[in-house]
Amino acid sequence: MDGAQKPLELILARNLLTSISTPAFLVDSAGTLMFYNEAAGALLGMPFEEAGQMEPDEWSSRFGPLDDDGEPIPFESLPLTVALREGRPYHANLHIHAAEGSVRAIEVSALPITAERGQSGAMAIFWPADMAGDGAEDGR
Amino acid sequence: MKVKVWGARGSVPAPGPEMNRYGGNTSCVQLMLSDGETLILDAGTGIRSLGLALKSGMPTINILLTHLHLDHIQGLMFFPPCFKTESRITIWGPASPEATLEHRVARYISAPLSPVEVRELPCDVSFLDTPASEWEIGSARIRAGSVTHRGPTLGYRITEGDTSLCYIPDHEPGLGAALEDAEPEWISGFDLAHRADLLIHDCQYTDREYPEHIGWGHSPVSDAISFGRLTEAERLLLFHHDPLHDDEFLDTLFDDAVSRWESGGGAPDRIQLAAESIEVELGPTRELAAG
Repeated sequence: MDGAQKPLELILARNLLTSISTPAFLVDSAGTLMFYNEAAGALLGMPFEEAGQMEPDEWSSRFGPLDDDGEPIPFESLPLTVALREGRPYHANLHIHAAEGSVRAIEVSALPITAERGQSGAMAIFWPADMAGDGAEDGR
Repeated sequence: MKVKVWGARGSVPAPGPEMNRYGGNTSCVQLMLSDGETLILDAGTGIRSLGLALKSGMPTINILLTHLHLDHIQGLMFFPPCFKTESRITIWGPASPEATLEHRVARYISAPLSPVEVRELPCDVSFLDTPASEWEIGSARIRAGSVTHRGPTLGYRITEGDTSLCYIPDHEPGLGAALEDAEPEWISGFDLAHRADLLIHDCQYTDREYPEHIGWGHSPVSDAISFGRLTEAERLLLFHHDPLHDDEFLDTLFDDAVSRWESGGGAPDRIQLAAESIEVELGPTRELAAG
């Protein structure tokens, strides 16, 4: 085995995300991107099998979460980071670099994954904003 | 290290003449260490007979529970050492944020399900959450890890010297993932089982039965074989037989298992279907014998 055994709750989360058609990210407790699913790969223009695991600074810069003015959102303010740091769900509207160089508005809900022996990571599920319902609000 | 199976049935005891060869008692496995210490894996109904066979004057009896489903604790109340004042028993099990291990076990050993309460047991019994890191009991080093099942469930790896046994009686590692395509670190229980001399693993369903039981926490034959092969277990003992499977059915299931095992490169004498009274000697001699 090349890497360390992943916590069971991350394994189960990955299996769940693999099985759903909503784009989703999974990070470990250090914020390393461990997995994103096929739907996220379609939105981003690159399947996870090609991208592989990424350190926090790499994935946050590659996918360029941007605010409404097109400015990069600081890593510490990203939904996944807030969920990890504060151990609570967090929802936000932002923009990302998507397939073929486009910029897409998305809504993101991030959830911490906490087990008996502490926090293992977090997952984020996101939707293109043009698919979200009219009642969706920025949770910040 | 010597291993003896006292109960290999899953879910509920399944007595009857058609079950005689594999047995109807639920999960219980005894490990006899080289220093004379005995470890007991799970306390299904098989532990009753084990308790009757134990010599008096044993040092502390350690019982390692994988989880608290009834088929893994049902025998506790009928374990003869529990009713002897000279017995010292330590019960290990998964931690829970909800209640202590003792409190959770006491839901079974209490009225109206039981005529006695845990506090009334005459033995000296203690309940301990399994540590997050490896710990020692006698000459063995024990590691517990969470595995995919319904509810908090552990698998165990027990190592004595260079010999290791992995016990994961209730396990559905293929839930939501194709085992053959998964990276090892993303397979539930992989590190517990990796290159164990003996892997005792869930094999409750045939592949035909499994689609109706997805998410119930148990493995079909194909996943049990894949898990054994991927983890490079030296020997695989298929366990936790469905109560609907009689001896004849299990013989057929085993034929299928051997076929799959061999097609993956496994030697036919390295796979066995668990049966009550089977003993496995691990270490230099590595013999498998019917008791």
